[in-house]
Amino acid sequence: MNVAITPTMIGQVIISGLLAGALYSMVALGLALIYGVMRVINIAHGTLLMLGAYTTFWWFRLLGINPYLSLLVALPLMFLLGMLLQRTLVTRVVDAPELSSLLLTFGISIALVNVAQLAFTSDVRSVEFLTGAFLVGPFALSKSRLVSFAFAVVITVLAFWFLQKTKLGKAIRATSQSSEVAMVCGINVQRIHLYAFGIASALAAAGGSLVAVIVAIQPEMGTVYTFKSFLVIVLGGAGNYPGALLGGMLLGLVEQLSSLFLTTQVSEAVAYVLLVLVLLLRPTGLLGGRAR
Amino acid sequence: MRWAILAALPIGLLLLALYPMVATGYGIQFMLQLFMWVALAQSWNLISGLTGYVSFGHVAFFGTGAYGAAILVSKHAWHWVPASLMGGVAAVVLALIIGYPCLRLKGPYFAIAMLGLNEVMRVLVSYFEGLTGGGSGLSLPTLHASRQVYYGMGLAALAITGVAHILITSRVGLRFMTIREDEIAAEAMGINTARYKLFAFLLSAFVPGVVGGLYARDQGYIEPISVFPLLTTVTMIVMALFGGKGTIWGPVLGAVTLFIFQELVWARFLYLHQVLFGAIIVVVVLLMPKGILGILQERYRLPRWV
Amino acid sequence: MKILAHVSRRGIGPWAAALAVAVGVGSWSPPAAAQAPIKIGASLSLTGTYAALGQNQQRGYQLCAKHMNEKGGVLGRKIEFVLYDDQSQPATGVRLYEKLITQDKVDVVMGPYSSAITEAVANVTEKYKMPMVAPMASTTSIFKKGRKFAFMVQSPAEVYLEGLLDVAAKRGLKTAAFVYEDTLFPKATVTAPGGSVDIAKKKGLQVVFVEAYPKGNTDFSAIMTKLRAANPDVLGAATYFDDAVAITRQMKELNVNPKMYGVTVGGDLPTFYQLLGKNAEYVYGATQWEAELPYPGAQEFLAAHSREFPGVVISYHSAGGYGGCQVLVEAIKRAGSLDGEKIREAILKIDMNTVYGAFKVDADGFQVSHKMVMFQWQEGKKVIVWPDELAAGKARFPTPPWNQR
Repeated sequence: MNVAITPTMIGQVIISGLLAGALYSMVALGLALIYGVMRVINIAHGTLLMLGAYTTFWWFRLLGINPYLSLLVALPLMFLLGMLLQRTLVTRVVDAPELSSLLLTFGISIALVNVAQLAFTSDVRSVEFLTGAFLVGPFALSKSRLVSFAFAVVITVLAFWFLQKTKLGKAIRATSQSSEVAMVCGINVQRIHLYAFGIASALAAAGGSLVAVIVAIQPEMGTVYTFKSFLVIVLGGAGNYPGALLGGMLLGLVEQLSSLFLTTQVSEAVAYVLLVLVLLLRPTGLLGGRAR
Repeated sequence: MRWAILAALPIGLLLLALYPMVATGYGIQFMLQLFMWVALAQSWNLISGLTGYVSFGHVAFFGTGAYGAAILVSKHAWHWVPASLMGGVAAVVLALIIGYPCLRLKGPYFAIAMLGLNEVMRVLVSYFEGLTGGGSGLSLPTLHASRQVYYGMGLAALAITGVAHILITSRVGLRFMTIREDEIAAEAMGINTARYKLFAFLLSAFVPGVVGGLYARDQGYIEPISVFPLLTTVTMIVMALFGGKGTIWGPVLGAVTLFIFQELVWARFLYLHQVLFGAIIVVVVLLMPKGILGILQERYRLPRWV
Repeated sequence: MKILAHVSRRGIGPWAAALAVAVGVGSWSPPAAAQAPIKIGASLSLTGTYAALGQNQQRGYQLCAKHMNEKGGVLGRKIEFVLYDDQSQPATGVRLYEKLITQDKVDVVMGPYSSAITEAVANVTEKYKMPMVAPMASTTSIFKKGRKFAFMVQSPAEVYLEGLLDVAAKRGLKTAAFVYEDTLFPKATVTAPGGSVDIAKKKGLQVVFVEAYPKGNTDFSAIMTKLRAANPDVLGAATYFDDAVAITRQMKELNVNPKMYGVTVGGDLPTFYQLLGKNAEYVYGATQWEAELPYPGAQEFLAAHSREFPGVVISYHSAGGYGGCQVLVEAIKRAGSLDGEKIREAILKIDMNTVYGAFKVDADGFQVSHKMVMFQWQEGKKVIVWPDELAAGKARFPTPPWNQR
């Protein structure tokens, strides 16, 4: 039993896809930063997102004020946590074989997720702040998704401005291109690693905070975002920061469209098939990144 | 020292073979699961320990084998022994489909591809529900075969450890390790890295498939979430790392110690147990990358075949 | 690390010792005793996904044991539950039931939480011919496989949405749609023979849309979009808790307005209303048991529960655990012994009311007399609206569109 698909429905899911896509882009940008600067694949990325989501949840639960304001707490908090992780653990595997960084971040992820299970219990939480939708013609724009979308866009734009225009941002980009040359130019590469991981964690946490208003919060929520962030990076090209933006929007659209034309179940596999296809046919990503 | 070890092995095997005669149902279950983990950890070791290509989705082969065997037993009335072997074959086919494209790329991409694999398999199983029962799971006709499964698992563990021994002490093994240490140099030396990686990968997928089939027989009922859980991959990895990846007896050591500790101590505290696993991974990677056995090997200059 | 260094110097010996310990642990069984309490074994989901529900069930078991013992026990002996945590995993449950039966040598067993775990452990109890009263399993297939020692307490999954569809048909609605989580129980609710799709058709409703979503799914936008286009009069969602909440929210977000909307599991928990607030109004839910129902001993059970577990909200899992235990005790009394076959025969003949409702099984152990009820959230309270003989109020019909509330 299925319904015939009309253009309105397609339009609706395109809207849903774009709203989701911006969040993916923002979170993936963080992952791209870590990989670009340090060549570390941060499997714990989704876990950082989850911690951001819980920050927002507790903010709202304990203070009762606008959960979006929790960004003011979540961002700096996770920035610091990110720097701490980098300083104590990640930095030791930056120059080690990739196997080590993969396993390390994997271990960190497992440990943190289960610490969250112990601390927060696996009870599902949610932040009921904005419910319902704006009705624009035949389309429904979910209020919470729209607002989160807006914040994601703002944060991402800020992040890009930072990378393009500030000295630190340029240093980060330089290190992404080549850490040796950056060192020769006098850039303190260790410090760049620190800041990059911190910023990336903050971006992931922002994703978590924004998503907390939309979906259910539970300790394992991050895993799927880690995978999606990787997918975005592969689509956009490793080390290609604007590519992460495109990749995110693309992923959002593909997910929604395949849920519409096929079923929601299948759309999970579709994302994966997309990954394998891109890896096979154009491993440098759709926009071209580092050839690896 | 060498004689002690060489003598202990057949004696140990004999004891294990005789054990079911005196054990309770629980004891058999315990040991059967232990063998299963030895086989899984060792299989993971073959791809990730030897070639350095980290497989985060290895449980996908376990689940594929479980479903392959379960379908043959419940829908086509196969006997569970050949069905389990076919489960292994199914896993190898999956490995071929995934490995062929993904192993041609470098490490990180392979890891990413493997990361999502168990979820995709879950989705596929649910999608082809006519065949697999989808979310309802699949029940095998009732058969009480714990003792036979015990031997099956034991043989699987023995076989894969034997394979590990042969590989690690041979030139093939050396080539795997060269790929792990410096893939570009390996290629420069003329090693067809893609082919070797694929070989290791296929090999590492077979036993989890068989073991999955045995597991399905033993449980009598499987559903997607129970045969494709992330925790299984995590446990495999922890066991192999802790014991010593890239060695022959490391995964066995890791599996035995961690499983016993887990059953006697941690299993009551699910989340604490997993935090510990995560912490162990971090500690091993940072402080003892060669695992317990690796430390022992260096300290006591044990030969490579231990 | 130091300990291991020590060990290795002495060779394999200590490892053999450890192996011997493991073997010993596996083979040891406690000595039998004469007038010791009757041991009832079970594994419950005390941690993991089903933790909240498993813990509720545990309270039911514990309370029943306490009350039975206060009344003098069974066959002149007290009863005692031997409980383990299966961590919401079927495989763990299987191991634990093996342990309970072969090592702890329990006399009888009761079931775990959820259909999936019950299905897995039923293989074990069947193997040892140990009768198992399984209060928290609603899937028909478990009890229709030719098993002799598994007994169902609840109404089966297939009838969960019967109330919703019955009221819909009586009120003249024409079209129905269903969504469900793709796991054993919700799937059976909708798609099994005699399930919601069949019931709808039999009542003259046209089924316009059915779709499954994966367990753990959080994004229902595409499903909602399709639902809006299908525009069903009544929407039935076979869910657990998280998805029930998510679906309700996203219905509002994508402006899906059926005239009746009901969920299965999860809608009855107070947290459902706590999380959704006003958005939970008008939602129908199916439940195996509610505290207000006039079953014998229910009021006393409620009072005892709040005395024993102050501050804990009662749920049907506790009542089910209690009721199931009542049945088992009655069966042991009638059998006059702990022999598995005798207890089995006794259970097959039982036709009684527990605090949980009616209990009677057919020759397969399948429940045939327990009735479900349907409630609707009205002003923050659950009001039972179906069936008529147990209803406490009328359904608020139709559910107004979101923008008119």
